[in-house]
Amino acid sequence: MRLKDKIAVVTGGAQGIGRAVALGMGREGAKVVVADLQAEKAQSVANELQALGAEASAIEVHVANESSVKRMAKSTFDRFGRADILVNVAGIYYPKASVVDLSEEDWDRTIDINVGGNFLCCREFVPSMRAQKSGRIISLASGIGHYGMRQFSHYAASKAAVMGFVKALAREVGPDGITVNAICPGSANTSMPRQHRSEEEVMTRLRATPLPHILEPEDIAGAILFLASDAAAYITGQSYNINSGSYMF
Amino acid sequence: MITGGGGGIGAAVAQRMAAAGISLIIADFDGAAAERVKSEITEAGGQADAFAIDVTAAREVKAVVKDVEKHYGRIDILANIAGGSAHTKRIEELTWAQWKEVVDVNLKGTFLMCREVAPVMQRQKSGRIINTASNYGVTGAALRTPYAAAKAGVITFTKSLALELAPDGVLANTVAPGPTDTPRVMEKESAQARQQRWWPNIPLGRTAVPQDLAEMYYFLTTPESAAITGQTFHVNGGVVMP
Repeated sequence: MRLKDKIAVVTGGAQGIGRAVALGMGREGAKVVVADLQAEKAQSVANELQALGAEASAIEVHVANESSVKRMAKSTFDRFGRADILVNVAGIYYPKASVVDLSEEDWDRTIDINVGGNFLCCREFVPSMRAQKSGRIISLASGIGHYGMRQFSHYAASKAAVMGFVKALAREVGPDGITVNAICPGSANTSMPRQHRSEEEVMTRLRATPLPHILEPEDIAGAILFLASDAAAYITGQSYNINSGSYMF
Repeated sequence: MITGGGGGIGAAVAQRMAAAGISLIIADFDGAAAERVKSEITEAGGQADAFAIDVTAAREVKAVVKDVEKHYGRIDILANIAGGSAHTKRIEELTWAQWKEVVDVNLKGTFLMCREVAPVMQRQKSGRIINTASNYGVTGAALRTPYAAAKAGVITFTKSLALELAPDGVLANTVAPGPTDTPRVMEKESAQARQQRWWPNIPLGRTAVPQDLAEMYYFLTTPESAAITGQTFHVNGGVVMP
């Protein structure tokens, strides 16, 4: 077990990639805080973890809300005393709109959740990682942050911003033994793309990759578990693409 | 199969893979060095063979790969680690022969090895190719024009190869090491000089040891990386964040 007795916090842990990360962390021996806006679903992932024999708790969090993020951190510290691993998965990919039609509210909401949430969560957990001179932060960016996408300027901007944030934070906290990296998934077999594409469109996209391999949440989780483990001690400030070859940067 | 497996990063990769139960073909220009790594692995209970190879010699590459395929029946992993920056000098002082030497060992060697091994993997409908670039392949570096050019070439060669081989389930990725304390570089520069030169510029505060890199090569052979192809993995302590 690569993460035995590590304390891992996974935001957006209730479903999709976040759930796969949380379950993977538990299988590798970590104690997991499943944090999500959807409290009931988070609890059911925590229950799944407990059924696997892993220690886990669930907490409701809105990552773009300061006091909510502070509550999540306090609950983690009260229960486990520290956090060794923070995985920022919480994010939104909605609504679809051209730049000229995009409302200021939708722009703000996307940027606040997707990159502001990273800032707020990291701000709460970095001090305890600093104190112990070790820590792993892994944030979900997206290939769209590199190549852009029509009608998703807000999402593309937010994910590029995550990569910039990760690099800057990696420089800040590297001397304290904390690594910070991003993972850029391609289109994965989750509910997210189904919010604005038909089932047929989603499957066509998933099958259109060079590698005949439908990208599953577990594929993304695998790379995140690697980055969270001791094996990745010398990796920081990087953005790794996991996408069945759909995009090579 | 690991080229450059006789020392430095290549030897660390061989040891890491052997520890995971993988049978190793250690190929190195320095046949005696390959034999030494083979002995270390077999004495520890692992499985290994050694070959002397010049990866820039097409006929030699063909012969060795044929031999390996005949003996083992398959090749699941190819890690091209043979390479280096033998000549560091200003462009006006660089001879054509020196340019060719650096470009050939890094880029042509990678091409020749892949050309022979890829068909084996395509027949198997599975395989992992891991090539080696450098952060200099992205940033460039004064006095290393051929090395930087070759390593940039490796990155894009690997992407193209990944696209070609993807339909057959063969994956190809690149690992890009940063400053790494290998015996070869430590011969040229003292540990103290390296610390002074590098450590203040590296967010994680130290240069790499070969084992840091070995973990990434190993990860790229596991089922966990089954959806990853055509990508470049920088392992450099944060000295370069492309």
